[in-house]
Amino acid sequence: MTHAPTPTATRRLLHAAACLLPALALLACSRPGQPDASTADAAGASANTLRIAFHADNTTLVSLDPFQVYWLEHRVILRNVAESLTDQDPATGRVIPWLAKRWEISPDALRYTFVLRDDVSFSNGSAFNAQAVKTAFDADKAFVAAVPATFGATYLQGYDHAEVVDDHTVRIVLARPNAGFLQATSTTNLAILAPESYALTPQQRSRGAIVGTGPFTLARYTPEVGIELERRKGYHWPSGAARNPGEAWIDKVAVSYVPEESVRNGQFVAGAVDIVWPRNPFTDLDLRQLKGAGASVHSRALPGPAANLYPNTAAGHVLADPRVRLALQKAIDRRSYATTIYNGDFPVVASIYDSTTPYFKSVGDRLAYDPEGAARLLDEAGWKPGADGLRHKDGKPLVLVQNVAAETSGDVLVQDQLRKLGIALKLNILVIGEMTAANAAGHYDLSASYMTRADPAVLQTFLDPRFTNHSALSTNAYAPDTLRKAQALFDAGLQATDAAQRARAYGELQELLIAQGVAFPVYERLWQAATAARVDGFTWTSEGFALFNDIRLKS
Amino acid sequence: MTRYVGGRIAQALLVLWGAYTVTYAILYLLPGDPLALMLTASGVEIDTLSPAQVAQARAYYGLDQGALRQYFALLWNILHGDLGQSLSRNAPVRQLLEERLPQTLQLAGLAVVLSIVGGTGFAWFTATLRSPRVRNLLRRAPAIGFSIPVFWMGLLLIQLFAFDLGWLPSTGNAGWRSLVLPAVTLAIPSAAAYAQVLGRSFHDVWREPHIATAFAKGLTRGAVQRRHVLRNAALPALTLVGLQVGHTVSGAVIVETVFARVGIGRLAQEAVLRQDIPVVLAVVVISAAAFVVVNLGVDLLYPALDPRVAHAPKVT
Repeated sequence: MTHAPTPTATRRLLHAAACLLPALALLACSRPGQPDASTADAAGASANTLRIAFHADNTTLVSLDPFQVYWLEHRVILRNVAESLTDQDPATGRVIPWLAKRWEISPDALRYTFVLRDDVSFSNGSAFNAQAVKTAFDADKAFVAAVPATFGATYLQGYDHAEVVDDHTVRIVLARPNAGFLQATSTTNLAILAPESYALTPQQRSRGAIVGTGPFTLARYTPEVGIELERRKGYHWPSGAARNPGEAWIDKVAVSYVPEESVRNGQFVAGAVDIVWPRNPFTDLDLRQLKGAGASVHSRALPGPAANLYPNTAAGHVLADPRVRLALQKAIDRRSYATTIYNGDFPVVASIYDSTTPYFKSVGDRLAYDPEGAARLLDEAGWKPGADGLRHKDGKPLVLVQNVAAETSGDVLVQDQLRKLGIALKLNILVIGEMTAANAAGHYDLSASYMTRADPAVLQTFLDPRFTNHSALSTNAYAPDTLRKAQALFDAGLQATDAAQRARAYGELQELLIAQGVAFPVYERLWQAATAARVDGFTWTSEGFALFNDIRLKS
Repeated sequence: MTRYVGGRIAQALLVLWGAYTVTYAILYLLPGDPLALMLTASGVEIDTLSPAQVAQARAYYGLDQGALRQYFALLWNILHGDLGQSLSRNAPVRQLLEERLPQTLQLAGLAVVLSIVGGTGFAWFTATLRSPRVRNLLRRAPAIGFSIPVFWMGLLLIQLFAFDLGWLPSTGNAGWRSLVLPAVTLAIPSAAAYAQVLGRSFHDVWREPHIATAFAKGLTRGAVQRRHVLRNAALPALTLVGLQVGHTVSGAVIVETVFARVGIGRLAQEAVLRQDIPVVLAVVVISAAAFVVVNLGVDLLYPALDPRVAHAPKVT
């Protein structure tokens, strides 16, 4: 049944195929910089829309309610919608006026009297006044009573009640001193929403029903898809840290979540987004690709704990021996971590806090790479080198278990560094659910965690057993007497009435946690955003967010 | 015929019940405390609770009853449309599915249509070629489409059609334009499979004696292909369509991540990672139902295409 082919037809077909393949390949490599239709559509195709791509939405806690939100990317957005009584100078960490013009703190550090601006209104038209501030604080307190584990709880520590002194003066009364409280009033977590927002359920607020005084209003929030902000007309009360005194220069902000890194960077290179702002720092390869497309790269170490590992010192675990903990402290080569995992300009971590945290104290000399010292300590502890390259004691190899959700190149580098000293770091890859359960049950030797806030008290949210809901990590990290000392220093830091006292308490705390091997700093949590050439005026806030009202888009 | 259909439907229901039971057994009965898992998924560690609170939580999740009673209670609820509450998302599972299912149905539906049209078209085109050498070459081509990883194909299509040509959006859920690239990505492996199987069947059927008869009756090549070859060759490919629907669900996980779409695939992935048991159970039941319905449709199509299936006498 086969019909004889005509030779010319076959040749023509093969010829066509031969031409088509290279043509496709060429198309794939050439013509960069064409507009990508996606975000232009989503943003209503406005030239004056700032388009931002984040890596992912929070699927654990779906919420834009400022008080509950710990997700960094949400806090960036909230900073531009809901404002706070105060702000923090990004350079010095000093608390500066915002919705409050000035304030007074009583000598016993229990009464904070704020004098409010009288020209501020919420975007729904309600007046911003002392009553609104009281409503906000009382609603937050009620929420803590209902959900004690909520992230905002630590900011509100000690809050008792608020008194309306006059229409624009409010007095916040604490039941016990909280030296972190003034900084807390500058955060998105204690942002003041309109009283109408607090009349809604927390679920409604979480889904985006929030009204603030910010330069933008929240137009739309679709979980895992994106967020849209619109400019607020008539805005003129920015914080002292802002440069634009009036309405925002851009009309809209369109946020999208793009989980796939190459797609996210590709959208930036193709000009479809103006800012790529992933959670992890850019690699060298990313930086070359983005800079090749004309990007400016902005970096800021996130205030709060550095990227630390925390030990399990419970009986029966290898790290119960303080000598092994100290050996571990010396066995991590932090300089080569910064330069090889990231790049030559990457800062080397110098304490348990990132360098942007107020009261940060550099103890870098105690974190120096010292393999000989580490080997000596391990010898003393009875861990002798064995034939397999690992150290052994009582016939057992020196193995440390760390549960991770995914193995990063940084994890592998640390693994390699420890291996040189005869310590096997076993990276146990588990799905998130299993990992949390394994850590809670104490099935680990090292674990990691972090929270971001420009006040050293943030460490208590996960490293002080009295304040955390994940008790395993915090209780296992300390030997009992170290825990007592650390808690005394945490308390001293919070009850201090002046900056010098706080500096002393947190300085001692940093030294204690390093010396006792309660935290093993690995790298500074640098946050990076790449902005396109048309974006002008991107600057960091104190906590590593950005004020969109300062941003201009060049045509 | 009614008996045939009735039997098939009963079988389908049995499969669905089996899928539910196996999933339940895996999630609830395997070692490990489901309560600890559920509490972890909702952000609380079990060791921070007092015994009274643990008992209260156990009752809240219905874990204080025996396994069998629990199993039937859950089954009863599902039969009444109550899929329970997501642990990590603080929302009813039903609401999550209502939000997500349409997105995945559009994606999977378009992908299935594209794969059938593409696969059949390719096999048809190959069969009409007169040169045996080109025909043989093209008959082997689908293997490439089947072996290219889905995520890589997705990235390639994004680079070409979104970034370089700017014809279609690279990511998102908005409008039909955002549906094209993910659907094409998802359709390629299935289309390749159909093209491979159908091409092979065409090849075999063309050699059968009744084709010679058809030509002898004076039919044109096209008419023979349409009326005699396709109908006979379609059965194996049709079986495959039923099976490939399962792949669409697993493929959706990857495609939805690459194209930043929000659908059942990513919901399932997240739920598995966070051990959000009610969501996993619901997604498995829904996917099994889709699988069963499509295969039921395929089964019912057999007799229409091949009368021998319906008329075959029962051997008893």
